[in-house]
Amino acid sequence: MSTGGMQSFATIFSRYKILSLLFVIAVIWLLFGWLTDGYFLTPRNFSNLLRQMAITGMLAAGMVFVIISGEIDLSVGSLLGLLGGVAAILDVVYGFPVLATILTVLALGLMAGLFNGWWVAYRGVPSFMVGLAGLMAYRGVLLGITDGSTVAPVSPGLVLIGQAYLPRLAGDLLAGFVFLLVGVLIFRSRAKRRRYNLDVPPLWQDVLKLIGIGVVIAGFVIMLDEYRGIPIPVLVLGIVLGVFTLISRQTVFGRRVYSVGSNVEATRLSGVNVKVVKLAVFGLVGLMCAVAGLTTTARLAAGSVSAGNLGELDAIASCIIGGTSMRGGSGTVYGALIGALIMASLDNGMSMLGVETFWQMIVKGSILLLAVWVDIATSAKT
Amino acid sequence: MSDYLLEMKTIVKEFSGVKALDGIDLKVRPGEVVGLCGENGAGKSTLMKVLSAVHPHGTWSGEIIWEGQPLEARTIRRTERAGIVIVHQELMLVPELSVAENIFLGREVASRGGVLDYEAMNAKASRLMADLKMSHVNVALPVSHYSGGILQLIEIAKALGKNAKLLILDEPTSALSQSETRTLLDLVRGLKDRNIACVYISHKLEEIEAICDTVAVIRDGQFIGQAPMAALTVDKIIHMMVGRELKEKYPREPHAIGEVVFDVRHVTCHDPINPDKKKVDDVSFTVRAGEILGIAGLVGAGRTEMASALFGHYKGPHSVDIHLDGRRIEVKTPQDAVSHGICMVPEDRKRHGIVPLLGIGQNITLAVLPRFARFGLIDEAAEFSVIGHEIDAMSIKTASPLLAITSLSGGNQQKAVVAKMLLPKPRVLILDEPTRGVDVGAKYEIYKLIYGLAKDGIAIVMMSSELPEVLGISDRVLVIGDGEVRGDFVNDGTLTQEKILTAALTKRRQAA
Repeated sequence: MSTGGMQSFATIFSRYKILSLLFVIAVIWLLFGWLTDGYFLTPRNFSNLLRQMAITGMLAAGMVFVIISGEIDLSVGSLLGLLGGVAAILDVVYGFPVLATILTVLALGLMAGLFNGWWVAYRGVPSFMVGLAGLMAYRGVLLGITDGSTVAPVSPGLVLIGQAYLPRLAGDLLAGFVFLLVGVLIFRSRAKRRRYNLDVPPLWQDVLKLIGIGVVIAGFVIMLDEYRGIPIPVLVLGIVLGVFTLISRQTVFGRRVYSVGSNVEATRLSGVNVKVVKLAVFGLVGLMCAVAGLTTTARLAAGSVSAGNLGELDAIASCIIGGTSMRGGSGTVYGALIGALIMASLDNGMSMLGVETFWQMIVKGSILLLAVWVDIATSAKT
Repeated sequence: MSDYLLEMKTIVKEFSGVKALDGIDLKVRPGEVVGLCGENGAGKSTLMKVLSAVHPHGTWSGEIIWEGQPLEARTIRRTERAGIVIVHQELMLVPELSVAENIFLGREVASRGGVLDYEAMNAKASRLMADLKMSHVNVALPVSHYSGGILQLIEIAKALGKNAKLLILDEPTSALSQSETRTLLDLVRGLKDRNIACVYISHKLEEIEAICDTVAVIRDGQFIGQAPMAALTVDKIIHMMVGRELKEKYPREPHAIGEVVFDVRHVTCHDPINPDKKKVDDVSFTVRAGEILGIAGLVGAGRTEMASALFGHYKGPHSVDIHLDGRRIEVKTPQDAVSHGICMVPEDRKRHGIVPLLGIGQNITLAVLPRFARFGLIDEAAEFSVIGHEIDAMSIKTASPLLAITSLSGGNQQKAVVAKMLLPKPRVLILDEPTRGVDVGAKYEIYKLIYGLAKDGIAIVMMSSELPEVLGISDRVLVIGDGEVRGDFVNDGTLTQEKILTAALTKRRQAA
């Protein structure tokens, strides 16, 4: 009897990977909470934690599409640094208006991403190599244009996007709106499934799901309100999560990313222009580098030559921990962000405990290895 | 006591209940060249895999007597030590390594510390190549330096280097030009002087006739007979290979045939690795609306290459001139082909047909997804209504379109792939081996489906290596052999498998 119970427990977990990820987060938080006498779980630290994960999360949200399509991009850390540096120079040296800086940097990010993608899709250079080249070259450009020194001070307007908080009322209204939206989407999908004679999950299951989502949203907002409200980078990340989830699930482009990653030849033979799909994926990640670069510069209030160093590895690790398969064809945006949250929690908690940096690196490396092994071990069984 | 080197007795090999081999006997004397003949899927390769222990002892029943002793090998290493060496159809050489390194791959000559002794290897390799009258090959150069026939000979040198007493050659000339073929045949004849026996598998019966001492024929896993070549003719071998009666497995339905839709002129495809070799050599044909053109030919005749070229998918130098409804069109990519209304159901379903991580429904709509989208957003309701309709129309047996496509049986996967390629509403449908790996019941349904499409006026091109299928389905049959057209028959009831096979095996240019 008990084994039957265990089995259904295990199937639920493998069906809904998100549950096991949330379980891991709960364990990590409780552990750090206990070890830090509860300090880890205070609203203030929670707000810090989310701000810390925001930049890695932005990169991971773009990276997850690259990995699903069966490629990899090692240049995102350097590209983040370069674009952040360009933002600082435009702001500090040339005195661009904030909006103009943002738009210019976003356009440059998109272009750099498309440039990478062009080499991969149209010139047949393995993405690993294109990324490695970018990793070196973009950092080199950054050192060249900044003369190796920090660019400061950034104007207060730009700093806002990294350091400001959404007013509480606006945050609460937004949270309520998101909750309503999710509810409407769930019930619309039920109606649709019924119309097409598809299996409709029992009502209690969807209601439970909605309540669960409501609790998570409410928890987030209440915790953040306890401190200073929703940080702008976290808000941006939330928007990215929503938009990118929509892209991955409901758009032609998203479907094709999965399809290309799962079997590129069959997709090509179905008359799909797979090169354009790959090009666009790299464009998307380039755009996210720009968003992350702007946020980094704003947060530091300066353009730093070491910004985004090793960011590509954190982003990739986040995707993998979040259940994205290195073989391509499967993965989710929310998984990648939860992966980023796990990484940030480890960093934050261990720093708080005064664990030395070398131990932090060892622990993070081990977690990554473990996550991939768990993925392989569980997918081999089914 | 026995004057045979090898005796295989009543070999039976089953794959999940289906008998692939059903009581095969094969006898080989020392130094003898035995031709092994049979149609595609007759069981030749399976028999050789039993012999070389790719299928280890215990997974089949029967007996192998080797040099008078029972051979119960479980590994390929064991059979190779005994002296049975197989040269596969696909070359197994590492291009970056030198000829000598390839010849000694896995049995490198080295000092006790593991340091390679290149002098010894190169000397031995040169001697092996000299034995094959190939002393002009520099064994220290990388294999990628050579091409075509020489590669095949390097493979044979590698096999002989293992002290082979029995060499199995599986379609050794399929990638060779005529002069290279002649060199290879001379070499096989020369093996006799060195008392090395050979099992020679080939569809090219003129080669069998030229070099074999005896010929064994198998058909549908059954042993038909083994006789001295002197007592046989090519016609007799063909009759032994075909033999079976055509049963009513084909739901023939009358359908109207209209104007010429698809006019293909001068398809030529070169081998991507050995550009001197033409895989398809100046093939032209036309197909009318509602007509089913069967393209027959043995494995390696160039059918799949031609299908790829027509669909903008061939990966080598090639030229093709396609006219659709009388207008010349450019087909450079599969995307071009689909947008012009030419669709293809590829031969290798697993590699080219299905997207394994997508659901059944998502596979079906893969080619026409933008049709359901507004501003890039998919209207899933519209998508699912089309998917539901297709699943019904194709009678794909599944509980839900959301299930993984890999949960379906081979036949139902194939129906889903066909459904995918019908949604773009093609004028021309190319079906490359549409019933491969599909069970008998599903085959029947696929045939019915093909007739339904012909009735709708689609021009259908069906490549198939199963002659009964070609005869059972086609209105017209184009026979391809060695990349060239070797026959164009109207399937009016007088066409037989023998006629097709004879045409496929007869060199046109030699006859003239």
